[in-house]
Amino acid sequence: MSTTSQKHRDFVAEPMGDKPVTALSGIGEVLGKKLEDQGFDKAFVVLGQFLLLRKDQELFIEWLKDTSGANSRQAVSCSQCLTEWCDAFL
Amino acid sequence: MPVFVEDPSQFSKQRLKLALISHNVELPPEESKKQVYMDLYMKHIWNQSNADFSSDEEDQTQSSTEEEIREENNMMDLSLLTDDQLKKKLLQYGVKPGPIVASTRALYERKLQRLEHSSQFKVNGTCTCDTAKYSDSEEEEEEEEEENEEESGSEELRPESVSHTETSATGSTIENKLSPQSQLGETAKTCNQTPVENRVQWEPMTDILMDLFPDAATTPTGIMATKRRPIKGAAGRPVQFKYPETPLSPATLEKREIQRRLVPLWVQIIVFLLVTALLYFIYISMEDQLENPFSALLDSLSEETVTEEVSLIPSCSQDVHTSEVAAQEQAVF
Repeated sequence: MSTTSQKHRDFVAEPMGDKPVTALSGIGEVLGKKLEDQGFDKAFVVLGQFLLLRKDQELFIEWLKDTSGANSRQAVSCSQCLTEWCDAFL
Repeated sequence: MPVFVEDPSQFSKQRLKLALISHNVELPPEESKKQVYMDLYMKHIWNQSNADFSSDEEDQTQSSTEEEIREENNMMDLSLLTDDQLKKKLLQYGVKPGPIVASTRALYERKLQRLEHSSQFKVNGTCTCDTAKYSDSEEEEEEEEEENEEESGSEELRPESVSHTETSATGSTIENKLSPQSQLGETAKTCNQTPVENRVQWEPMTDILMDLFPDAATTPTGIMATKRRPIKGAAGRPVQFKYPETPLSPATLEKREIQRRLVPLWVQIIVFLLVTALLYFIYISMEDQLENPFSALLDSLSEETVTEEVSLIPSCSQDVHTSEVAAQEQAVF
């Protein structure tokens, strides 16, 4: 396993189900609140956006930065987390 | 446009007049100043000579002005495009966009802008081919290095020279995006690679050929037969994103975990064997001692039974015993 955070590993280990958006790797309280304000209150909604962008990491990172004000590290972490989840479960 | 700016001013009034006559332009009154002649000259003859001359400078200057006009047109046009048109334009650049919906439209418009900008830069560099190729890449790298001081993550993204220029293009584009977003200015500084290994993992390999040949002429429509971007993963071409370390499924995850457990498992078995051997040796050493307590127990048991019999039958047994002893004595005698 690469040196991913515990949050990343926890998220990628099982179907996301109804997990909140803060369960995503890279998304903490502050970013989670901002995403919820935009209507992305659950992780699967963010997944929806990721899939809409055809799982393009660059575009998703851009979108996440615009929507939530994430920095590069957080956006990359979230994007990578979703990519791996999709590889495992989609 | 030095040629045209200088020429009319250098011309004498007479020459300007003659030029105007030759071009069938109405002459202004004789008393008018040279400037008037110059203006007429510029107005009528400058347009004609544009078509005649084909100097490099003129092309570049013209192309730069045309580019500015084109850029403005593009910026306006992108928002006017329908979803379908936007999609078609993106396809021309080899990008396969997802559904263009409210949330994705802005992103795709920006992407199209970036692609058009980069294609225009390549048009500029058509004059100097070989030298420009290396100089451009060096310039890009220098720019990238400057940006790297802010974004310390980009270095990890460039293990090779090919992806070097590519990620520099993407990094520069990301940097361009970051700068207008001043509210996210802190993000540019905090852009680091805490998940360094994660960033190393994925290497966007877009525009491989475009960066290998940055100075190739681009057609107006953006469709080039020889320089089309490679299809992802087809015919052995590199895949767009590489994930060398991501597990594919929970089954593989479990397998890897089990494999990891096997290594210490051998150690556990050896330890177990050692412990059993130890216990066995202890048992062997204890065997002699064990016999004594058993035998002692047996002896004590037998003594107890004898004493019990004697105690249980005190009177009767004595009579019987005495009679028996008497009988025995008589028998003996």
